[in-house]
Amino acid sequence: MHSTEIHTYLHRFFTENDCEILHGNEHYLTVQLTIDMDKRIMNRPFYWRYIESVNEIPNPAQLTLITDMQQLQNGMKGEVIHLGSPRLHQLFRLTKEMGQYVKLYERIVDTNEQQILTPWVGVNYKVSFTSHQTKEILYSLGINLMTGTVLKEFQETIAMRDLSEQSSEQVFHLPYIITPTRALDRLDTVISQVIEGEDLTWVEEAEKRWKKDQAVLDYFYEGQEPKPQCYEMEKQAMEERFKPRITVDVVNGGLFYLI
Amino acid sequence: MLIERSSSWKEGFIQRLENQEPWNNAVLYNMSYDITKNNLITDFTGLQSLAYLPNVKPLPHQIQAAERVIEQMNGKAILADEVGLGKTIEAGLIIKEYLLRGLVKKVLILVPASLVNQWVEELYTKFHIPALLYKKNYELDYVDVVVMSMDTAKRSPHKEKVFAQDYDLIIVDEAHKLKNHQTISYKFVQSLKKKFCLLLTATPIQNDTFELFYLVTLLKQGHLGNYEEFSSVFSAKNRDEERDSYLKELVSQVMVRNRRQDTGVEWSTRKIHTVPITFTDSERQAYTAISNLKQLSPLFSDAFSTMTLQREMCSSPDATIGTLRMKLQECKQAEEISYVKDVIDQLEKMSIHSKAKKAAELIAQANEKVIIFTEYRMTQLYLSDYLYANGISNVIFNGKLSKSSREWIKHLFKQQAQVLIATESGAEGINLQFCHHVINYDLPWNPMKLEQRIGRVHRLGQEHDVQIYNLAVKETIDDHVMKVLQGKIETFEQVVGELDDILEMKEQSV
Repeated sequence: MHSTEIHTYLHRFFTENDCEILHGNEHYLTVQLTIDMDKRIMNRPFYWRYIESVNEIPNPAQLTLITDMQQLQNGMKGEVIHLGSPRLHQLFRLTKEMGQYVKLYERIVDTNEQQILTPWVGVNYKVSFTSHQTKEILYSLGINLMTGTVLKEFQETIAMRDLSEQSSEQVFHLPYIITPTRALDRLDTVISQVIEGEDLTWVEEAEKRWKKDQAVLDYFYEGQEPKPQCYEMEKQAMEERFKPRITVDVVNGGLFYLI
Repeated sequence: MLIERSSSWKEGFIQRLENQEPWNNAVLYNMSYDITKNNLITDFTGLQSLAYLPNVKPLPHQIQAAERVIEQMNGKAILADEVGLGKTIEAGLIIKEYLLRGLVKKVLILVPASLVNQWVEELYTKFHIPALLYKKNYELDYVDVVVMSMDTAKRSPHKEKVFAQDYDLIIVDEAHKLKNHQTISYKFVQSLKKKFCLLLTATPIQNDTFELFYLVTLLKQGHLGNYEEFSSVFSAKNRDEERDSYLKELVSQVMVRNRRQDTGVEWSTRKIHTVPITFTDSERQAYTAISNLKQLSPLFSDAFSTMTLQREMCSSPDATIGTLRMKLQECKQAEEISYVKDVIDQLEKMSIHSKAKKAAELIAQANEKVIIFTEYRMTQLYLSDYLYANGISNVIFNGKLSKSSREWIKHLFKQQAQVLIATESGAEGINLQFCHHVINYDLPWNPMKLEQRIGRVHRLGQEHDVQIYNLAVKETIDDHVMKVLQGKIETFEQVVGELDDILEMKEQSV
């Protein structure tokens, strides 16, 4: 992410969360936090407990976030935000937490005649391959709750459509035949199949290295029975280091009614 | 292969389908997807962390070192770059990379007490890693990255606290301090689980190859075989080249060692000068008298005390007198007492030591800032007085100074004084690139100490050629020290790799 992308992100994040942008340009912004946002990101529970217990008028913080470090030389005061800064990661976490589940309807332009919308479940998965090294792959899958058809790159498809949190009038929502719970199970199976189709040579590589290190360790303690505690500890460390693991995390997902 | 999944998202989804919880905002939903996509770790290899670190510009050799440790050495390595090439940066890159990739959650960093603050600060300002400086009574459960002094960590009740945690990455700075496998520090590190582990030292061998054996074994048991095999194969008096290169190959599998010339950075060069000194007649007399002490009294018969006195005599009368006075208290026979007193008398009357005179000359010649290293506190004071008397401003630096005084003295040296007179223990971890003359007034037995001394000034940021003066009195114990140093340097080079010049080449010496 470049600094301009980060700037756009910050602007959108605070606007969506009803925090007023007091002033700013393409290099920085000063934002008035809402009470809710202050509680979420400013890490001052004692202040809030005190204010609330004495019924004082709350004074949520203002933040100045600088995305272009040059501004510091012009004497600007504030937090410098870049890809590695803890503040940005806090906001990323919060975004993730606040954008996990949606129910969205596709907007209908022509409302003269009744339109039919089909229900879909869409889920974004992050798959992590982990041994002594890591790699992540993002999959976006959607499943049609009428037919069971599975669509890949679902997120890209819906990004092009006009979606709303409110349903339009004059619209008929088909009741789903496949329940969302069953749809999720089906997607789990699809994800497993997709993973099997990925290049899994990394598993062999990790196991090869593991075996090699284990052989060296065994040789060191050859003839010692029972093996001392440090042997067991090293063996354990080796397992933690090399054991290949595949984990599937859901980034987010939702119920979509599409034309 | 088993695929791990968590069911928590699914539960939340079902709750919302049943209208028990509100749905989220569509914009944040899309933003969340975009962030995940942007920050995805798309490759097993390469450093992702570089994009996250606008405050550091790592040098190519540092990036390569970090990549090699992670990709080829599986995160277990001795980082043994020459002094001043930025081992801390390499370690920081590795920590950051592992944290970003989620392979490491908890990190334990063990360092000498004098470097604790420096580590915390560098990790924060350069790598945005909030590390806790461990103090008594701190709980470690919720701390991901902690910096502790080794001396604290290895003692109760602190070591129990460390054992109660499950660290993924252990880092030991100045790891040459673990060369002796019988020390508490060694045993402490040995008893830690090492999923990933970095040992940092510029000087993996100080005296003999066994130190390297123990260091490598600490990192990776069995990599150099067991002790019996190692000693039978590698410590044989008659080493052969084939074995040495085999050992070197094994060691290089677990050790990264960048040399200055490999870094692609224009380095200033080292100019080594051996400065021979001739004793005056009265000094020679005193030296001979001291050397004869062992024939006179059993108190001086062990090789060590004679050698110490001889070395002190090559340094300053004050250092010698100090030791002789202590010995005098043990003397019982009248003959012994009068002989020792006689020598002390002789020393007290002595005019300025030839080495001190030479040092003052060299300083006058340099006409710039100079660091003098000596082995003896008494010599340090003696030199300071003598230089002052000759109008040369100087400050004294030793291991007894507190952290803030160290900073203050360093500041004084930079701003005002021409000369810094330091003992070994004071030198660790300070950076003095603004100076480029080093006088080794006394030579230590250990070449790595010399390397550490020179490393104070010959590091990244040094713009001048570094002038090094090794002072040695002719036809004394100094000659022997030189020979021993030469031998140890050869051992190091056969097993670890080339060393930058410390001593002048034999054929070149005057």
